[in-house]
Amino acid sequence: MIQDLAPLVCGLLLAATGAAKLFGRRTAQIAANTVLVRVLGNRHRAAFALRAVGALEAAVAAGLLAAPSAVVPGVATAVLGAGFTGYLGYARATAPETSCGCSARDEGPIGTRSFVRAVLVLAGGVAAAFAGGTWWHEIAGRPGWSLLVLAAAAALVAAVSRDVDRVWLPVRRLRLRLFGTPLPTGSGRRVPVEASVELLESSLAWQASAPIVRSALLDHWDDEGWRVLRFAGVHQDERGARPVSVLFALDEEATIDSSPSPAVRVSVIDDDTQEAILLDLLALSGLRTPLPLV
Amino acid sequence: MTDRHDPARRGFDRRRFLTTAALGGATIVGASALGGLDADAAFAAPIPSLDPAIAKSAFAEGRITAIKGSVLEVAGSYGDRHLIQLTNATSIWKLRTTTADAIRTGDGLYARGVDMPDGTIAADAVWVNIVNLFCTVRGIAKDRLHLTHGSADHEVVGRIVPETTTASYLGGALTPDLSRVRIGQSAQVLGAWRPEDDTVDIARVTVGH
Amino acid sequence: MACGSTSLWAGETTWFCCGSSWGPCGSAGTGACGTCQSSAHQAAWPNTSQACFDITRPDLCGESIARRACGSVMNVKHQCSGATVCVTVSDCGPRTQSFCGEATCCNGACRTNRVIDLTPAAFSAIGNLSSGKLPVYIYE
Repeated sequence: MIQDLAPLVCGLLLAATGAAKLFGRRTAQIAANTVLVRVLGNRHRAAFALRAVGALEAAVAAGLLAAPSAVVPGVATAVLGAGFTGYLGYARATAPETSCGCSARDEGPIGTRSFVRAVLVLAGGVAAAFAGGTWWHEIAGRPGWSLLVLAAAAALVAAVSRDVDRVWLPVRRLRLRLFGTPLPTGSGRRVPVEASVELLESSLAWQASAPIVRSALLDHWDDEGWRVLRFAGVHQDERGARPVSVLFALDEEATIDSSPSPAVRVSVIDDDTQEAILLDLLALSGLRTPLPLV
Repeated sequence: MTDRHDPARRGFDRRRFLTTAALGGATIVGASALGGLDADAAFAAPIPSLDPAIAKSAFAEGRITAIKGSVLEVAGSYGDRHLIQLTNATSIWKLRTTTADAIRTGDGLYARGVDMPDGTIAADAVWVNIVNLFCTVRGIAKDRLHLTHGSADHEVVGRIVPETTTASYLGGALTPDLSRVRIGQSAQVLGAWRPEDDTVDIARVTVGH
Repeated sequence: MACGSTSLWAGETTWFCCGSSWGPCGSAGTGACGTCQSSAHQAAWPNTSQACFDITRPDLCGESIARRACGSVMNVKHQCSGATVCVTVSDCGPRTQSFCGEATCCNGACRTNRVIDLTPAAFSAIGNLSSGKLPVYIYE
């Protein structure tokens, strides 16, 4: 019967996670990222609580493995599972970005897998509580069937555990090699605006406008083959500082790959008067000293 | 309603006007044409010694706790509080260049600006929910990348946003072609964190070795 | 400590977050030096210690970057705009070996390899966070 093997599966699982929490060197560090810090006030208490849960898991595991036909260890496991589910639900609702601290080697936001693990512990506990015989009798009596059930349980645990994620890597790689990448190739799409900004930021025009430009990209649009990029800036002259728009126009198809030295049209518009301010940006930024007038 | 009062129409007219202005501006071409400053020579030029305590621009970091008109109330991660004033000249980034309408309470932000006498920061630029994570690609699906980052292999789901997510391969230009991303590669992921489900919308993925 | 003007290195900079923060940055911790904060003018250097160097391995990209311990002060200058920011080394990074040969240019002059990482406060003082990387000169 499956429930006769449940104490063995749950016992081994809880022994592993309990020992990792209890003796793990990084338990304190992991506790610091859980919602326990906020609930208990500080990280020392959170680490203590996490270790205490580890000790509880280890004790329940010992009960499950040594006295599998008793009802108490099974009920205790189910209570642990229910407790984990409740804790995860609370943490997810109040602080979704915290780590779950579930298996002590495992850091990461609370996701579906954390919940599935907690529910499995609950289900395993219920099954263990209904165990009629001991797991060693079950294995001795029906070795083939038992092995099959244990292998299936191990696969299930592996599937919901992040710790063995790297086991899946070669499988995922193979799948991509066989079936190709599902990611878009982007064929037919226009040059992304970010690529135009990247090109602009590597240009002499950008270097020359550096003393005026203050904002990051404010607005952009395409018009008859040109891509216009608008930035906000401040122009200082004898009348004081004035807010301006700095406009760059470049070929909408150009990127750093296709045109390493792009031609960029630059103009500076006074935001109040809407008039263009005529500036020699190269001279202003010190990139070119003006030629002496003859 | 006349055209003059339709905001979309007005925005179009203003863009047309600005396009004309932009195209009427001076054309600046790269170094070869103008004999720009040799970059390596610039290294030899002395720069003024600066005191590390003095910063020219103001900076703020934290979570937005309230939005009152054009002012963002921000709770810094170290208990500090900031009031960020948005203006017509403030650039706003949230996955892409956007407007103040896209900002929500609960978003994280970094802001650069100028300290004002009333204690607010007049923002030049605001980056909302922006993250830049050094990751390893662990899995690839049609609409997302499974990533891990940090020394503890923290798991992150990176969402691929149609018409937005771009990739760069070893310093090449940003391209909408994501098909060369491979499992096991190192990647720098610049994107916008989504507080509601703790995933990241990818703006660009820069792939390394 | 004042920020120096003796040239130390040149290359690409990116940015990273650390310390108490929101989102995925919340798990980043206070870095190899235990002092890192996103809102301070700080940097990660690829050779703060042997253990750090063994992770970043800039030598695999041909960069024999000198060791500078936690607390070292550097002046980082944007190659294009000349904007500078003074930073304190507070973490180990970036992972130079993962992006060997990557270049960022301005006006035809390119800086190769990621040799320094800046906090958002420091990076945004000399460039835009949405740009992701910048070519810089580093002084000490």
